[in-house]
Amino acid sequence: MFFYYIDLAWRSFKRTPFVSMLMVLAIAVGIGITMTSLSVYYMMAMNPIPDKSDRLHVVQLNTMDEGQSQGSSDNLPQQLTYRDAMALYQQDFPENKVIHMRSGFAVHLGDSSIKPFLEATRMAGRDFFSMFNLEFQYGGAWSVEQEQNAAQVAVISQSLNEKLFGSENSLGKTFYLDDKVFQVVGVLDEWNLHTRFYDITTGAFSRTENIFIPFSLVPVLEVPSWGNTNGWKYQEINNYQDRLNAEIFWVQLWVELPNEQAKAQYGQFLQAYLSEQEALGRFERETPQYALRNVMEWLDYSNVVSDDNRVLVGLSFMFLIVCLANILGLLLGKFLKRAPEIGVRRALGARKRQVFAQHIVEVSLLGLFGGLLGIGIAQLGLWGVRATENYYSALATMDLSMLLAAPSISIIACIIAGLYPAWLVCKTAPAIYLKTQ
Amino acid sequence: MLSMKNINKVYQTEKVQTHALRDFDLEVSEGEFIAVTGPSGSGKTTFLNIAGMLESYSSGDYLLDDINVGKLSDNAKADLRNQKIGFIFQGFNLIPDLNLYENVEVPLRYRGIKSAQRKQRIMDCLEQVGLASRAKHLPQQLSGGQQQRVAIARALAGKPRFLLADEPTGNLDSLMARQVMDLLEQINRDGATIIMVTHDPELARRAPRNIQVVDGQLADFTLYQGAPDMHVSSHAAAQV
Amino acid sequence: MFECKPIFNSLLRSKAGAMMLLVQIAITVAIVSNASFIIYDRVQYLKQETGYPEESIFSFSITSFVEDFDQLQQIEIDESVLRGIPGVINAVNLSEIPLSGSGSASSIHTAPPPDTGRGVRAAYVLGDENSVDTLGVKIIAGRNFNQEDVVIQRSPDQVATVAIASKSFVEEMFPDGDGLGNTVFMGPYPVQIIGVVEKMMGPWLKDRKADNFIIFPMVVESTFQKMLVRTEPSERASVMKQVEALMLENNGDRVVSNVIGMDDDKALYNAGDMLMLRMLLVLIVVLVLITALGIYGLTMFNISKRTKQIGTRRALGARKSAIVRYFLIENSMVCSAGLLIGIVGAIYLGDALLKAYSLPALDIMYVVVTAIVVFCISVLSVIIPANRAANISPSIATRSV
Repeated sequence: MFFYYIDLAWRSFKRTPFVSMLMVLAIAVGIGITMTSLSVYYMMAMNPIPDKSDRLHVVQLNTMDEGQSQGSSDNLPQQLTYRDAMALYQQDFPENKVIHMRSGFAVHLGDSSIKPFLEATRMAGRDFFSMFNLEFQYGGAWSVEQEQNAAQVAVISQSLNEKLFGSENSLGKTFYLDDKVFQVVGVLDEWNLHTRFYDITTGAFSRTENIFIPFSLVPVLEVPSWGNTNGWKYQEINNYQDRLNAEIFWVQLWVELPNEQAKAQYGQFLQAYLSEQEALGRFERETPQYALRNVMEWLDYSNVVSDDNRVLVGLSFMFLIVCLANILGLLLGKFLKRAPEIGVRRALGARKRQVFAQHIVEVSLLGLFGGLLGIGIAQLGLWGVRATENYYSALATMDLSMLLAAPSISIIACIIAGLYPAWLVCKTAPAIYLKTQ
Repeated sequence: MLSMKNINKVYQTEKVQTHALRDFDLEVSEGEFIAVTGPSGSGKTTFLNIAGMLESYSSGDYLLDDINVGKLSDNAKADLRNQKIGFIFQGFNLIPDLNLYENVEVPLRYRGIKSAQRKQRIMDCLEQVGLASRAKHLPQQLSGGQQQRVAIARALAGKPRFLLADEPTGNLDSLMARQVMDLLEQINRDGATIIMVTHDPELARRAPRNIQVVDGQLADFTLYQGAPDMHVSSHAAAQV
Repeated sequence: MFECKPIFNSLLRSKAGAMMLLVQIAITVAIVSNASFIIYDRVQYLKQETGYPEESIFSFSITSFVEDFDQLQQIEIDESVLRGIPGVINAVNLSEIPLSGSGSASSIHTAPPPDTGRGVRAAYVLGDENSVDTLGVKIIAGRNFNQEDVVIQRSPDQVATVAIASKSFVEEMFPDGDGLGNTVFMGPYPVQIIGVVEKMMGPWLKDRKADNFIIFPMVVESTFQKMLVRTEPSERASVMKQVEALMLENNGDRVVSNVIGMDDDKALYNAGDMLMLRMLLVLIVVLVLITALGIYGLTMFNISKRTKQIGTRRALGARKSAIVRYFLIENSMVCSAGLLIGIVGAIYLGDALLKAYSLPALDIMYVVVTAIVVFCISVLSVIIPANRAANISPSIATRSV
């Protein structure tokens, strides 16, 4: 029966091509606009590391005087001071943790074969790769010894390996960061991270770095920060040692806490640590304040999805409602005009349910066409987004679930719009349409 | 096989109550061919719609094959229409989007018959009305008489035991009307019971039994079956 | 005489269709007025005066990867090389580039610590005596830096003692109007304000104190330097193409990056707003189009449903204009109801957006203008099919279809 209804729907479509096209166009445009904004929203709000997002936590400590603020919703600084981050990083608990910050260097090979270029570089603890699920093409993370000795070793991305060493296995090869020689110990596989959750402060949707070197090099090489540095009181900072000791926030720490118990335990530890630091006279607070946010909480806290985007999604759905009202009006006209035919069908033994199903199949077909056309319109819209905002390039795309969502939303929307007209048609008494035409 | 007792049909509008049928009684036996005549607005079509279960009635009893129609659900009525009743309308009421084959197919579709069996049955019915060769044509490519023959084929497709025809020749010229009438007589001879509403006395006379509806009530002229002249005169007398 | 009542009655009979039209118009008004107001707000933001001749200025970064050279002397050399390029008006080494989204800010106080007095937040840059000229900003009070003001920092305790600040900062710091010549404190260091610039935006246009900006006459050693160059507007593109080669020519152990015009830099910072603006614009245009098509389609249906009725009316002597008027009045009735609901909806939506998101309060004028525009569009979408209806032949009434 289903195919019979499809056949009838297609005939009906052909019978009133103008109105049918108008309806398809209306739903397509509605779906297209909605899917454009929804796709960006979806990519922004998507969990970047689903298998671990509950366990990975970012550590925030309030080491400021009472009443000081960093403009966040709970007044906590987003980053840590170097000394706090290091102190926590050097603890045995929890087992997996990563200290990191963003910097950058001029990259070259020490000869004229490649023109020197700037490359953002992540200074990180060696757990960075295992904690954030990075895969290696060659080699692996640097060793514990190398990290302790601040060895000049690097993990580089696939693309940088291609640029410097022509994609070959470059383990053991060397290159320069500024005027220092570094040895390659690992080459990463491709890493597609749409939301750079591990460091929101330098742009949640910026590209991931191509170079990773041990964080222990920070004091040795006096590495400048390419990220934010925030202070809360005036301090003399005349050399790098001053900077390392200063009450300024520029380092980030992530810890992996496997369960609630570990989280509670670590929270108690942080509380004790803060009290201890306060006793040293670093800051004055009534109560120690810290936060342990997991990945999704962190993204939410950092307002990764912009207000603009939420507004757009909301307006797009309202737009979709307009399109539906439009379709509903046209369907009413189209279906009621067909009431005599339905009268005949009813007289010939069609049940109400069958008549209803016939019309629902018909609107679903419209929804399907509209949804497919809508994907095209959404692609056009996303292309426009990418052209306007380079930063969103990785976000302004539709993945498989969005591609499937488009016709699904479209069909569901059309069915909702079609319910009333279809019900109206199937409930009208057949007799009145049979006598005269 | 059809039995109506004290059927009343009242249309309720804002201010006025209209009695379309009033204590309507009728018994129809298997194999009859009945012509229903009567002035416009007398309730002929209402009677036919009730007989076909297209309309409900206000009170009374209607038994079709000993099934009490009044107690049936909408679905059951639809199924009963599909299995036992064939309709023929004055305006043919063919579905314009569908070709002849597909029009005849409609009741079989709703009955859920398999494609191969459907095809056999449809072609038989079109054969019977002499339009098998034009199965792929659309209704508007046909003359009125041909369209009505398709409508008859469609009514026959489900092998109904009951054929309800509402002014089947009303939109046709006399030649075509006679052809349609021939067809109906043939169908009746093949065993179907036919009730035909008409205002054409000549056609009515060809039916073995005539009934007249006047003001929602039945006047039965079966008695005068054998004497057409008397029938006409008393018909005229009744109208005075 | 406009036969409003029968039209109204017939509307009531086909209430579902009319309802849909009404909903459509109401939502359209609510969305379009709010969206166009957001657009207006963003356009104002994007078009705001920054104080700089953005089309004449570009900037770039130089990162040295060898440290064994006199960086301060290198800055002097670089500046003079840049000034030597035909078409360049001036060039300066600046610690941060205005409007770029990257910079430094601090709280500036009226007294030194520990009792710091009142503090006002301001962004600041370090640069030499060419800063004001290269930035192309206008000093409205006081004087520009001279060479003696500029501190070439060779040790950390060497700091500037004077500053030039934007008018909005000076006024906020010294509400009594005695800012010029007065002294402020950056930590323990006193700084005298010697010049006031009329308008000079800091690095972050979205900062709530975007207008507070200070230039300190200082040049600081660093392997990472930024250069700002002002050219003749027509020459900028060609100068930008030359800088990398020229810079590397006089010292090859470094990387020149991020060569970008000030307007493009600003556009990059504001790309999100531009995106919002364009998306909303598309939304509005398509929405109005869809609504117009919807009204058109619905009127067409109404007409096809009433073809015979219209023919009969024509046969009974109705003029064409009467037929057109019938449909126009019918549309206007539905439309007016929709507009009324839409206006209320728009105000509620604006209120909700204001509360939930960082959006400005909706100006009621936008709602009114939108309502009028939507009304006109609805009339236009009815007139075409209505005229077609008026041309229905009276003879159609006598034909039985």
